[in-house]
Amino acid sequence: MHKQNTKLSKALKHKFFKPLYYLIAIVLLCSHDLFIKLETYFLQPNQEATLSLFNGTFEKSDNIITRDRMLDASVVAQGERVAIEATKWEDQDSTITNLKFRTGESGTYVAGVSTKARNIELTAEKFNKYLKSDGVFDMLQQRTNDNLLDKDVVENYQKHVKAIYQVGDTKTNDWKTVLGYPIEFVPQANPYDKHTGDQLQAQLLLDGKPLAHQLIFADFIKSAHSHQHGRHEADHTHDEQEHSHSHSHDDAKHTHGNSETESHDHSHDEKTKDHEHSHNDGGHNHEHHDNVDSDKTHTHTSGQQLRTDDNGVATVDLTEDGIYYLRTIYMARATDSDEITHRSKWATLTFEVTHAHNADAHAHDHEHEDHIPTWVFVLGSLMIIGVLFFIFRKRA
Amino acid sequence: MAVSLRKILPFLLVLIPAFGFAHGVTSADQELLRSDSLWAYMQVGATHMLTGYDHLLFLAGVVFYLNGIKDILKFITVFTIGHCITLISATYAGITANEHLVDAVIALSVLYKGFENLGGFKKLNVKAPNLLLMVGVFGLIHGFGLSTRLQSFDMGQDHILAKILCFNLGVEIGQVLALIPIVFIITFSRRHRQFTAFYKAVNWYLVLAGIGLFLYQMYGYFNGIE
Repeated sequence: MHKQNTKLSKALKHKFFKPLYYLIAIVLLCSHDLFIKLETYFLQPNQEATLSLFNGTFEKSDNIITRDRMLDASVVAQGERVAIEATKWEDQDSTITNLKFRTGESGTYVAGVSTKARNIELTAEKFNKYLKSDGVFDMLQQRTNDNLLDKDVVENYQKHVKAIYQVGDTKTNDWKTVLGYPIEFVPQANPYDKHTGDQLQAQLLLDGKPLAHQLIFADFIKSAHSHQHGRHEADHTHDEQEHSHSHSHDDAKHTHGNSETESHDHSHDEKTKDHEHSHNDGGHNHEHHDNVDSDKTHTHTSGQQLRTDDNGVATVDLTEDGIYYLRTIYMARATDSDEITHRSKWATLTFEVTHAHNADAHAHDHEHEDHIPTWVFVLGSLMIIGVLFFIFRKRA
Repeated sequence: MAVSLRKILPFLLVLIPAFGFAHGVTSADQELLRSDSLWAYMQVGATHMLTGYDHLLFLAGVVFYLNGIKDILKFITVFTIGHCITLISATYAGITANEHLVDAVIALSVLYKGFENLGGFKKLNVKAPNLLLMVGVFGLIHGFGLSTRLQSFDMGQDHILAKILCFNLGVEIGQVLALIPIVFIITFSRRHRQFTAFYKAVNWYLVLAGIGLFLYQMYGYFNGIE
């Protein structure tokens, strides 16, 4: 009886679940940037907060990150690097992985996550499209120049992401910490010493060395500090410079409401792998590792398009209040491997910028940054009352 | 007991900076509210009242006109009831309006109070509207202003009514704290022989401040300043 059940179970898994997983893979897999995202990057000491891993775009995550993929997850504060235990991560749903934590002392914090390398097999067409949509223009150019646009590839990819957030008012030097990831952004100044209208320089390190002439994309979304929140979702407003996008798995469209909108299609076929299943008697699990979309149209190249200089440094304009994200994909041909044709290393850095304010008090007008300065109002009021008083006293 | 202006001025100096923070609802406040604690809402409500100069100018105008603590308590109670009604109901119902327009009307209330205190209606041979009624009406408007500001924050989805009530309680605490020095200064200034000049100076200032704030808010409205 038990054997019969096992047989039936295996048959079900094989005939029903397996095709279902492929279907899920076809629908879900997409070109995924990985970001560490917080609702706000300005936190209070000893405050409960949630850090989310967004695997998709900065605004919408499509897949969780399973713990076994994480080579490193750590937070640096007060000069100390503390590993995040794998058990602390929770999957909010099938798309977002969260870490609930309590902030510590006031200071500038760095959080980082580094993931294992994976392989993906792609058709030439799909690869070319993804290079275009994700802004890996240099490799696309190489393929064009070398007449390789029709060559299928096996890409080995890995993602390494950082976020810098400010707890309380005290600025500490942890922002400059090099986490030692295969690729990482290291800001050249504390992002929380910068304000809207300033520029921030960030150095890109590849295996610890500056990566020159690498293409970088920098963009931002409005944060809680820079736009109104309605109590109801429908009240949440975005202005024209805020990027919005929508996914539709049915019509295979993904558009960004940005002036630099670009849309294209991805197709998926059975050759796409990196969709793992492990089946055992105690159940099964599956996981999507693909970094290339199949059924969606994507663009990841909105915002500022920058290139690092000889020292691997790029300068980002912090034009408006918001949460900024830098992203890059470094890709090279793998000449030393029979298994893979390309290696890519993905990096992102996120932080928040607000307009200048009283750094000591960390207080500034939420909606009224352009309002009358306090001292003008106080001084003006005193002067007016004083002048009027003397006028009326003379008259009396 | 004669109290010299030299003695009053330091109190004025203490009070007036509170006028200057232009609705000091800050992103630090937003962070505070993000903790989702009711205490935070109370704190932000109190801060908002203590740093919202238009509310304080109006209250100063009301207190200036009145003699005796009993009268002051009566008018402040009516003002409080007025702003509680709109603050709670508008926020709970999600009714909001352009902040510049609401603040412009609040600025007009400051102007109105100064004008009335200076006997403006009498000079125009017009019967002044019932003062208590007008304070109640302006209370409603100020409450709507407070509501609009509260709604500019992300309040989350849970315990909305409790949050509003706590914000409201904070506003009342802030109002009491603000009224203490206002009443103190005005009461003592009455005993000074230069009170008439001081009275006129402050109320003319209210008129000018009302006009200035009104124009400022309209400028903000038409130029889309956030």
